[in-house]
Amino acid sequence: MTFTLSHSTKRLLLSLLCLCLGIIYLFPYAWMVLTGFRSAVDTLSLRFIFEPTLEGFRSVLGDSIFRAYMLNSIIVSTLTTVVVLTVAAPAAFALGHLPIRGTGFLLFVLVVRMVPGIAILIPIYLVASRLGVLDTHGVLIVLYATFNLPFAIWLLRGFFCDVPGEIREAAIIDGCSELQVFLKIMLPLTSSGIVATGVFVFIAAWNEFLFALALTNSFASTAPLAMVAFRSEYGVQWPSIGAAAFIISTPVVLFAVVMQRFLVRGLTMGSVKG
Amino acid sequence: MSAGIRKVGSYRRARATLEPYWFMAPAAIMLATVYLGPMIYAVMTSTTHWVLTEPGSENIRAGLENYKDVLGAPSFWQAVKITLLYTLTSVTLSLTLGTLLALLLDNELHFASFFRSIMLIPMVITPAVIAIFWKLLYEQEQGVLNSLLVAMGFAKVAWLGLDHAFFAMVIMDSWQNTPFFMLVILAGLQSVDSNLMDAARVDGANVFQRFRYVVLPHLVPYMLIAAAFRGIATMNDFDKIWLLTQGGPGEATTTITVYTYKIAFSSFDMGRTTAIALIFVVIVLVTSAPLLRHLFRTARRPA
Repeated sequence: MTFTLSHSTKRLLLSLLCLCLGIIYLFPYAWMVLTGFRSAVDTLSLRFIFEPTLEGFRSVLGDSIFRAYMLNSIIVSTLTTVVVLTVAAPAAFALGHLPIRGTGFLLFVLVVRMVPGIAILIPIYLVASRLGVLDTHGVLIVLYATFNLPFAIWLLRGFFCDVPGEIREAAIIDGCSELQVFLKIMLPLTSSGIVATGVFVFIAAWNEFLFALALTNSFASTAPLAMVAFRSEYGVQWPSIGAAAFIISTPVVLFAVVMQRFLVRGLTMGSVKG
Repeated sequence: MSAGIRKVGSYRRARATLEPYWFMAPAAIMLATVYLGPMIYAVMTSTTHWVLTEPGSENIRAGLENYKDVLGAPSFWQAVKITLLYTLTSVTLSLTLGTLLALLLDNELHFASFFRSIMLIPMVITPAVIAIFWKLLYEQEQGVLNSLLVAMGFAKVAWLGLDHAFFAMVIMDSWQNTPFFMLVILAGLQSVDSNLMDAARVDGANVFQRFRYVVLPHLVPYMLIAAAFRGIATMNDFDKIWLLTQGGPGEATTTITVYTYKIAFSSFDMGRTTAIALIFVVIVLVTSAPLLRHLFRTARRPA
């Protein structure tokens, strides 16, 4: 022990390293946000110090198409979340608490989760065009809700399993039906898990791109598609693109920061016990 | 009379055993309709020569011809190769970086929670947006990366050109995936048996030996599961690639998903497209079989 850093010095140095890495890691995103505040003239210059302008934001928010896409995203993501929670919560409750052999169903849910989206895209496109539901909010909501069911059922099942089975048994003895147990006892006890699941579903629906690209034309197009539209419409108008990208990503980034504690469990689900 | 009682009893029991299934019915119906229905339709379509722009062609039987055509096409195997290479390099890179970051974060640090918040952002941010800001960084004339290179006295690099586009795509995906590995491996690190570590220390193992013989064996299962999860996600990647390169230049970044999409919406040959898609399903399911088995086992155990 002739030359060692004291514990607190080592901790400080590592902390500073950590801080630097965090800033470097965020750079690609931060750079885009900064671009949104630049004027068209010095878009790509390397300077960090520049006179910020809202030109980019003004042109994006003044664009009725972009506003419509954002509104579509809000409608589709919100309704998707509602549908998923309504359908997944009872299933997760049954799998976690009711006396059934749910293994077959669980396996089915797992396999379905692995099926690549592109594989069912084409048949779904064909069916949707026959039914005349291309470019509607409804088709996106039904699809997004179904895509998110397996994950939501798995996540929620974990939260329901956290509630001791004795609570349900006691309620049954007191004359509650399973439905009452579910609605009046289980839902309130798992509310934080349900909120966390809802946030996940919302984020997934908000971010979805492939099906929105293939199944919508403009009426029901969601915000991520603005990234395609801008590319052709504005050419190299980076401030507008940066502003649009910032607006589109803000809701999910806010969720990530605010809900940090809840999200870690879902994000690492299946890989980590508990 | 006793028969009547038994009947009522069994009726009640049937009701009681059926009731749980009502809770699962809506989910089961939705999943079956949206997944099984289209899958069956895809199998049927893949045995026809249906081209959307040729009315009546949906009735031309093709047997297994589409599958033969696809499996005989070099462009298909090229896409398979790119997909597997992309998945392998991206997962290896983000696994390595994620492990290093997790080892750093396993110390008691001052800004740990701030750092963790930052690392959540790449995991949730819209992939379409990720592609756009990497495109901005990679921009050839005045993009940040090339400006930095020039400032340091190097020549500009055509990041999205033929030679580098593949790596540009790998870096973008690793940037998104590294935090996931970091979180999973951090959880692994925090569950290392401290008695075992103490014992190794007493036996005179240095910090590297302790990592090699105590920590690493404990982490391997975490790494494998995380790699399987992200690997499957990366194989299915479409948004980021489509917006960064559209599969180009040439076919340099055309993964199977991009390949399928391009063929579907350029040739409108539905028979061929569904055949490609179904072969891809088989590839993904076979690759994910070990992960499925593991997940199924842990789930069946009462939680």
